[in-house]
Amino acid sequence: MTYKHIGKNFTPPDIEAKVTGAARYAEDFKREGMVFARLLTSPLPAGRIVNIDYSEALAMEGVVGILTTEDLPQPAPPTNPSLASDIITYIGQPILAVAAVTEEIAENAIEKIRIDFERRPFVVDPLDTLVEGGANPYPTGNTLVRNAGDAAAGTTASGTDVGEVKWSRDAINAFRAGQVPEGANFPEEWAFGELDAEFAQCTTIVEEPFVTIGQPHHALEPRTGMAYWENGRCYFHGSLQSHTIAVAPLAGMLGIDPANLVFINENTGGGFGGKIFPYPTMAVTGHLARKLNRPVQLRITREEEFYIGSARSGMQGRMKLGLKANGDVGAVDVIIVGDAGSGGGASNSSAAEHISLMLQPAAMRFRGVTLYTNTTPRGAQRGPGQNEMAAVLAPIFDKAIRQAGLDRMAVRRQNAPVSEDLIGPRRGALTSAFFPQAIQMGADMFSWDERQARSGQRNGNKVTGIGLGMGYHSAGASGYDGLCRIGTDGRLYLHTGVGNLGTYSYASVVRTAAEVLKVDWNNCEIVRGNTDLHLPYSTYQAGSNTMFTEVRTNFVAAQDALRKLKDIAAADLGGAADDYDIDGTRVFLTSNPEQGMTYAEAAQRAVAMGGEYSGETFPDDLNDVTKRSVQGLAGTGLIGVAKDTRHSGTVPSMTIGFMEIELDMGTGKYEIVDYTAVADCGTIIHPLGFRQSMNGGGVWGVGLSGYERHVYDPQNGLSANVGLYQAKIPTYLDIPVVTNSAGLDIPDPQSPMGSRGVGEPSQGCAAAALASAISDALGGHLFNRAPITPDMIINHVAQLDHFNTGDLKTNTF
Amino acid sequence: MTPKLTRRRFIKSVIFFGAAASSGAGFYLASAAAQRPAGGVERLVSLNVNGRTRRVDVMPQETLAHTLRYKLGLTGTKLGCNRGECGACTVTVDDVTNYACSTLTHSVKGRQVVTVEGLRAADGTLHAVQQAFIDELSPQCGFCTPGQIMSAVALLKTNPRPTREEARQALSGNLCRCGAYDHYLNGVMRASGQLS
Amino acid sequence: MPAYDNMPAMELYQPVQVEDALSLASRLADRGWLLGGGQDTYGWIKDRAKRPEALIDLNGIESMRGIRETSDGIEIGALATLTEISTNPLIRERYELLAKAASVVASPQIRNVGTIAGNVSQDVRCWYYRRGLDCYRAGGNLCYADTPEAQNREHALFNASRCVAVTPSDTGPALVALEAQMVISREGGQRVVAAEDFFVGPAINITRTTVMGPDEILTAVRIPAKWANADFFYEKVADRNVWDFALVSIAAAMRTEGGNIQESRLVCGAVECTPRRLRSVEQAIQGQPRNQATADMVAGMASEGAQPLTHNHFKMPLMDNLVQRALTA
Repeated sequence: MTYKHIGKNFTPPDIEAKVTGAARYAEDFKREGMVFARLLTSPLPAGRIVNIDYSEALAMEGVVGILTTEDLPQPAPPTNPSLASDIITYIGQPILAVAAVTEEIAENAIEKIRIDFERRPFVVDPLDTLVEGGANPYPTGNTLVRNAGDAAAGTTASGTDVGEVKWSRDAINAFRAGQVPEGANFPEEWAFGELDAEFAQCTTIVEEPFVTIGQPHHALEPRTGMAYWENGRCYFHGSLQSHTIAVAPLAGMLGIDPANLVFINENTGGGFGGKIFPYPTMAVTGHLARKLNRPVQLRITREEEFYIGSARSGMQGRMKLGLKANGDVGAVDVIIVGDAGSGGGASNSSAAEHISLMLQPAAMRFRGVTLYTNTTPRGAQRGPGQNEMAAVLAPIFDKAIRQAGLDRMAVRRQNAPVSEDLIGPRRGALTSAFFPQAIQMGADMFSWDERQARSGQRNGNKVTGIGLGMGYHSAGASGYDGLCRIGTDGRLYLHTGVGNLGTYSYASVVRTAAEVLKVDWNNCEIVRGNTDLHLPYSTYQAGSNTMFTEVRTNFVAAQDALRKLKDIAAADLGGAADDYDIDGTRVFLTSNPEQGMTYAEAAQRAVAMGGEYSGETFPDDLNDVTKRSVQGLAGTGLIGVAKDTRHSGTVPSMTIGFMEIELDMGTGKYEIVDYTAVADCGTIIHPLGFRQSMNGGGVWGVGLSGYERHVYDPQNGLSANVGLYQAKIPTYLDIPVVTNSAGLDIPDPQSPMGSRGVGEPSQGCAAAALASAISDALGGHLFNRAPITPDMIINHVAQLDHFNTGDLKTNTF
Repeated sequence: MTPKLTRRRFIKSVIFFGAAASSGAGFYLASAAAQRPAGGVERLVSLNVNGRTRRVDVMPQETLAHTLRYKLGLTGTKLGCNRGECGACTVTVDDVTNYACSTLTHSVKGRQVVTVEGLRAADGTLHAVQQAFIDELSPQCGFCTPGQIMSAVALLKTNPRPTREEARQALSGNLCRCGAYDHYLNGVMRASGQLS
Repeated sequence: MPAYDNMPAMELYQPVQVEDALSLASRLADRGWLLGGGQDTYGWIKDRAKRPEALIDLNGIESMRGIRETSDGIEIGALATLTEISTNPLIRERYELLAKAASVVASPQIRNVGTIAGNVSQDVRCWYYRRGLDCYRAGGNLCYADTPEAQNREHALFNASRCVAVTPSDTGPALVALEAQMVISREGGQRVVAAEDFFVGPAINITRTTVMGPDEILTAVRIPAKWANADFFYEKVADRNVWDFALVSIAAAMRTEGGNIQESRLVCGAVECTPRRLRSVEQAIQGQPRNQATADMVAGMASEGAQPLTHNHFKMPLMDNLVQRALTA
């Protein structure tokens, strides 16, 4: 299919400001009379506040106010409160905020605040709370339970409570030793197929423990916010990766009608899952501004961003995997204990789902437990569960394939999903999948056979490792609203509420409407970033969702506009709407192109005609956010607006990565000589943007398998890696020297432009390929963990494996 | 790296005093006098930023990033960590890259500071690096971009046609959490005329 | 843990003569803080983990800058930046070992302002200490890192005494290998100390990592001609190739004659609180050829006597591997 815009590069409208410094992030906004707030955060991993004395701080010159728990609604655990008092569950948890005329004064004031704490026992390792008699991270337990309760006033979470789950000491000991924890209680469980029967048919069975370690997102822009109130409305400059979907929850936090919230967020310095929805400190900023009746900037420091900026959950698990003689995956039985940190979520089931899709076992069972710990809250993350699973699965799968004497690429290709295959416990359908072709394409690009022949080759201290691995994420949803407007100037205004975390997908997807209406890009304008600009209710920009979900919304909005263009032309010029066609600037009679009108004229006619044409009326099924926006736009042009219908099936985005490394046996360091990745993610809408996602994901994969990890001291609950330096985020000199990426470019039938997202799996395949390559370089040795750091490789080479932690510890070495 | 200092046998800028309110945008007030040790003055200093000399009231302990962002309104210089661990605040001082979060403003008196806002030509034309970063879609979230640009600009000033490896080394003090490294390097190669 | 981020109010002095700086240092003593590149200054102060009342900015002192040839080698001004050292033609030609060591410090921006003096006098990186805990080194009476459950992967193998932190300096081992002389000035006097004696462990002084007192300033580093153009080997192993401190580093200077090692100095970084000379290895390889057989002969010798903690055992084979490499490169 030939497109005008789709599949072509373009200059996103926000990029110039990024290279000139003009792009403004929340912290860059100032306002007359603005004061600066700083947080006082908990020095304890668990406990409660007995008494706070802030009288001296409040009396200091320049201090203008203090916000405490008494000023804010308190949600019930496990929801994280904006400010904590009675239930403190991690070091760094915000306790109060001080506002002053300078940040320096606010910090001086914080030093003067005296707090009496009462300590509670704490845990940093999930297994330490899972064991009978182990301390609980919350006063009432260690795991989330669902109930039917309502959310506390002013808070958003509901239906959750903290309960308790425990295993016997024997079960914990067995699990730590990599064995099945007999008699253990698994609150999470699903299965399909005949597990025992399928294992019985397997000729190769491997059983391996694994552990993946949590890691902070550390978006480069800390989550600073600035808020002020005018005439009962709150103006909030924030840092979210979503926009209009966040309006209702943020208004709820502030206790106002969503119509009275103006949310402004043009640029966001990364999110990675940590900024999808409003986070607790946004309530602090907004409430403090209201209390003081002054603009307030609450700047978040890097250390605070570590504490409250969300993180990947860790997993401790065990896997049994069976291969049949022909290379088909027969059965997989997996146990996952997930670390949700303080009041967050783990990703156990989605980790297991990764296996169910990518390996297509005939039978599978997943059993899991999610536990809280007194560590930073865990939340959404790039490829939640799937990417960590990809990292530990790859070498384990390699081991089984090697034992069976088969080729690692061929077995992956043979089991890889196609459109008819199913996913997960509900055996759900896929919108489409062509993954065997992606694997073959990657293998050809990488010269798999040739490279594979170099596996294990020694060159002095260096040994070559060849790895490969797969990434998957469900990359699409539906049912959101689309909105566009043809102005009386004839230009096409593309309204989006999708948020902008930096991938430019917000811009790629609105080009769908330009495509449908055949409008030149220089006659288009994207409208976004400020709810007062009348934005539709759009999906979050997360989970690789934008490319599928928002192509659909922009398509239906444009179809609506197209219908109206033709209706108007027919009404004015005669004939039926179907007799008309468009060319991007005019709507005209197909049989006589001379007879027609310009888009500008049509928009002027729409204004004159009113009703649905200019947004005076609109469909009832629109979200309230969209309705308000259409009302705001009414009478300004021809309005295209519609709610998307529902798609069916999982939208699988899948990637295969191949990596060649040269591992230095003396130092445990390696150079990534080549990294090649191919995606099965439908039509490539924006080639450079696609490449950005693939390469950026590749860097994240290297971080996941090679560098980044939480380090907590179990003795005091302190984290060693609150800063960027200690978080070991890969640098220019740690990443692949050569990166190649490509897309299969086969359209998905349920996306009007054929697109699926790719941001998440692009990390998983790189993480998997690196873990596979390290293992390959070491003759198939399994570290059973992510990340694998030089110390572990050195120990292994020196035959000192017993110094590598072998008991499934997450959060600690 | 040599600051242009007078040879007077004189302890310059001895002991600062904090009573004066700051200049600048008017919302950032200096600390109360009571919090400072007593002493002499010379808080008012001349700073040359982006080719313009400005008189600025600078606290003794003030970092350059703070001065740029809060006193001069140059918010293109970003604070990613405030600890010299990310590079988002990279500026050039006499053409050499510095972390502005880890530089005292009083140490750049009499030196040429350039920030990302100072790269455009007088006629508004973007610097070659800026244009190349647009063409290669180098930035993702954009928060590290000003720092990446300053490192690239400094590199090309001393090495107009760097190899990709030289560019990799030169930009290595700039973290990109989005992982856009490859695209930034493409941008440097394009800006130096080695990629078309 | 409140996360402080702002520089609190303090005085700033910018002397342009070393005498004035010495006078200030003497007068202020522990209340003052010497400022070179400042890259191990601002973090401490922003975190409020160290609270000097005044900064003494040495950057205006011309006499402490520059790299010059002397009758016996070269003299490097204390304020010479790591970038200047790693790119200086004289150093690259004769003392490649030091140029290499300076080139792998932290990041380009830090090397652009970080000085040789700062690199050798920077404080230890123990994360417990840096978090402002009341450990021995901070004046308290316990060590958080030396316990069975402590996260001590980066800590010391040798000569720990209450404190188990290691030297973080990349140039320190190179300077010890090159038999550098450290010129230390104080009001009315000067002393010259061998690099090897410049660094001190916790048994000698648990609050300082060098012999310098609060009233002293390192004004220059002299590299004697003795090791000019010798056979050198330097390698730093760190997690990331930018920013990170060494897990272990090695600096080796060797003189060979007739194919045999006549004299050598091998020094490891990041295995104890000071750069660690590998004397037993130096003695064993004297008179031997620089080859694999000699490397095999001294296998495991470097790490002999190590007292590993829970998570740093890997540093022992890593030390040994680096010695192997120095002898076979």
